[in-house]
Amino acid sequence: MILSLLWACLLMQTPSPEPPVPSEALAQLQAGMDAEKQRDLDGAIADFRKATELAPSSSIAFLRLGNAYMNRRNYAEAIPPLKRAVELSPPSAPAHQLLGFALLARGYASEAIPHLDFVHEYGALGIAQLQNGEPVEAISNLQTALAKNPGDPDLLYYLSRAGTALSSQSLDKLLSVFPNTARGHQALAQNYYAMKMFAEAEKEYAQALALRPDLPGLRLELGQVHASESEWDKAEEQFRTETKLQPGNAEAAYRLGDALLQQGKMKEAADELKRSDSLHPDMPETLYALGRATGVSDPIVAEGALARAIELEKDSPLAGQAYLLLAGIHRKQGKTELAEKERQQFRRIQALSDLRSPAKP
Amino acid sequence: MSVVRMSNAGLLSLLCALALLAQEANHKSDPVFQVSTLRGVDFTLRNSPTSRKYLIETMPGGVALLDYNNDGLLDIFLVNAGHMRDPMTNPFSFDRHEPAYWNRLYRQNKDGSFTDVTEQAGLANAGDTNYGMGVAVGDYDNDGYPDIYVTNFGKNILYHNNGNGTFTDVTAKAGVAAGGWSVSAGFFDYDNDGQLDLFVTRYLDWTIEKSKTCGNEKPTYCPPGQFPAVANILYHSRGDGTFEDVSVPSGIAAKKGHGLGVAFADYDGDGYTDIFVANDVTEQFLFHNNGNGTFTETGLDSGAALTNDGKMLSGMGVAFQDYDNDGLPDLLVTELPHQPYVVYHNEGHGAFTAQELETGFGALSGKSSGWGIGLEDFDNDGWKDAFVVQGHVFDNVETYDSSLSYRELPLLALNHNGHFEKADVGSNVPVAGRGAAFGDLNNDGWMDVVATALGERPQIYLNRGGKSHWLVVTLRGTKSNRDGYGARVQINDQVRFATASGSYLSSNDKRLHFGLGSAERASVEIRWPSGIHQVLRAVKADQFIVLEESQQP
Repeated sequence: MILSLLWACLLMQTPSPEPPVPSEALAQLQAGMDAEKQRDLDGAIADFRKATELAPSSSIAFLRLGNAYMNRRNYAEAIPPLKRAVELSPPSAPAHQLLGFALLARGYASEAIPHLDFVHEYGALGIAQLQNGEPVEAISNLQTALAKNPGDPDLLYYLSRAGTALSSQSLDKLLSVFPNTARGHQALAQNYYAMKMFAEAEKEYAQALALRPDLPGLRLELGQVHASESEWDKAEEQFRTETKLQPGNAEAAYRLGDALLQQGKMKEAADELKRSDSLHPDMPETLYALGRATGVSDPIVAEGALARAIELEKDSPLAGQAYLLLAGIHRKQGKTELAEKERQQFRRIQALSDLRSPAKP
Repeated sequence: MSVVRMSNAGLLSLLCALALLAQEANHKSDPVFQVSTLRGVDFTLRNSPTSRKYLIETMPGGVALLDYNNDGLLDIFLVNAGHMRDPMTNPFSFDRHEPAYWNRLYRQNKDGSFTDVTEQAGLANAGDTNYGMGVAVGDYDNDGYPDIYVTNFGKNILYHNNGNGTFTDVTAKAGVAAGGWSVSAGFFDYDNDGQLDLFVTRYLDWTIEKSKTCGNEKPTYCPPGQFPAVANILYHSRGDGTFEDVSVPSGIAAKKGHGLGVAFADYDGDGYTDIFVANDVTEQFLFHNNGNGTFTETGLDSGAALTNDGKMLSGMGVAFQDYDNDGLPDLLVTELPHQPYVVYHNEGHGAFTAQELETGFGALSGKSSGWGIGLEDFDNDGWKDAFVVQGHVFDNVETYDSSLSYRELPLLALNHNGHFEKADVGSNVPVAGRGAAFGDLNNDGWMDVVATALGERPQIYLNRGGKSHWLVVTLRGTKSNRDGYGARVQINDQVRFATASGSYLSSNDKRLHFGLGSAERASVEIRWPSGIHQVLRAVKADQFIVLEESQQP
């Protein structure tokens, strides 16, 4: 998308000062442009090539030839005439632009960078930098390009990749330069966790905690490892410590509430989930968990929390779960019609979810 | 430096106190069971696992506790699986004619040892084309001798107990061979006509030819969703030793699922026995008995189909008894790890709510895969406890998730006023557990467990006993079916629904066991399936009683 836009604009720009061009060469150039208008690219290429032979010092002839090849997506053939155009007219922005694109298209990212930089072609420059292993620079240039074209999916894609590359690069550096730091162990632990190697993750978190027991977030993550293993008592212990380190962290409060809930400690769970909700209102997961924790002991609180979760989530699977939970509460209260309506809502959302994620073969 | 001197009396008191503390600590940590071997029981459950990961390999096998010769001692029937070749080649044979793959009946002797009577009883060869699964026990012809129904991948077999120590294969005459992949089965009387009917769960539409392997680099068993769902089967007894397949007219066949466990109870108190089917990754089925020969599946409407979060369960085993002594049968369903075992609490009026978190039961099961399950009062305190046999489906699960295990210890969850707490089961040898049957093997008034494990000898959990009181009731129906299946028996504040079914693939001691705690006497109230109501007052504790159905309402 970027390429096509720029190519379209390119030929409207005037190259830098040219030596005089013989009239025969000018005629060939005109013929080539006419052929281009008639979409006769092969004819245009032949005319432009003849023009370069007649006027070997004319950067515009080489530029036209290179552009014709670009239009035919023959980037390999486009590169030599475009390089020659740049040699003949070093300040020529169109020549740099086209050469930068051609080189990038052929994978010569490092060669493309100075040409794209010269013309401030930030999007393509960012892509070239990403491919050249320069994610920091790439992110900066892609963000600049995105500011001009906010909805460009290519730019968004490459920005996302650049972020990942930067993260990976930073992690590699952390692990190679500072392996025995708390952050180093934490990073390793996260890797193990992602690979479901829970025992190894726990060991790394333990080492991180030994080095920096008060580092915020460590216990939250370790608690989640325990939760993934359904070791809810251990998860509770870590989340509880995290909530002491970060009493204002709504996620820590939610995680602690959920761990308590999973162990059937309903009253404590409800208290912690209410606290989480007060710290960060309207988190659907918190509201749903609060509904579960209070469904038996305090149906009024449960109904309020679940209704709000439904309001926020609309037709999401969580909203479906909230409807089902409400149906159970109302069925128990003898409100059978209401319960039936809520079950129907659950069924409706369940069907929507099935449509969204069809069964795997 | 100062020295505190203590008088001899003071020192003695301290020592006594310490000794008492130590004794108390020891008492608290004493396991309920002693893991034992039973002299004469040399069975091995041979499931023959292959590299092809044929799905049937990981699903056997059942066990039944029954008194086949009416000598008052529980005997053990164990279902074997079969020989699988790797790969299986046509014509398929599981070599069940070879003694290594026989089902086995062990008769209990008076000294507590067992004698293998398989061959003389006529139970030796279960058919080369049958890969064994489960067992149901019931006196379908009301002749006073328990009959045995064996489920298979292949054809099922009904063995009629001849009353002389032998059995006869009456499958063809009775018309209950089924076919396909049958799993759990149970006898019950759904129309209260005094004749036991038969329900058979079926897992999925699978054959050796249709088998496939999942897991790419780490081949393993495919999940049930890879194969079409199938309907369960209901056989109605005609009362003449033959059965009629009424799956379609009864409405049972209208629902297809991945049936594994089955249990029976009258959950809404209308006098008709209902059916719960534990389905694997399908909604659980609660078939409400309409009292007119038909059933309506009410799982979702009643709140017993899904988890509280609206998710499917990998339902495997099931117990359908009253855990909180409110007189209503509840449901405990076992399933795969990272999904808590489910407790559906019966709220009355046909409604259930999932209470696994509130009861603490869910928190005990997070990393485990549960199969056979029983709700029995193992410590005789008046509250039914849960015992779950465990072990993952995949024999290579550790390569998928290092926190899970193929071999596991069973779970013993003692029930304290409706709240479950994990207790020492008395074993430290994990196995790939599957079936489990519950009963009082040594007639000491304390419930024991016989469990099966893939590739292993049966696991015997003998209850160490204690001081609490108990009462064991044997029902003898006259107007109702002779086993009294379907009766509601209340003793003091506790209720049991008479059945030998439940668990997974297995059949329990049909005698009804009650822990009485400190009570030395009990009032006994029975509502028979016939509608007859009987009450006995001040029954002395610590005895086995036989209650015959009275002739008068």
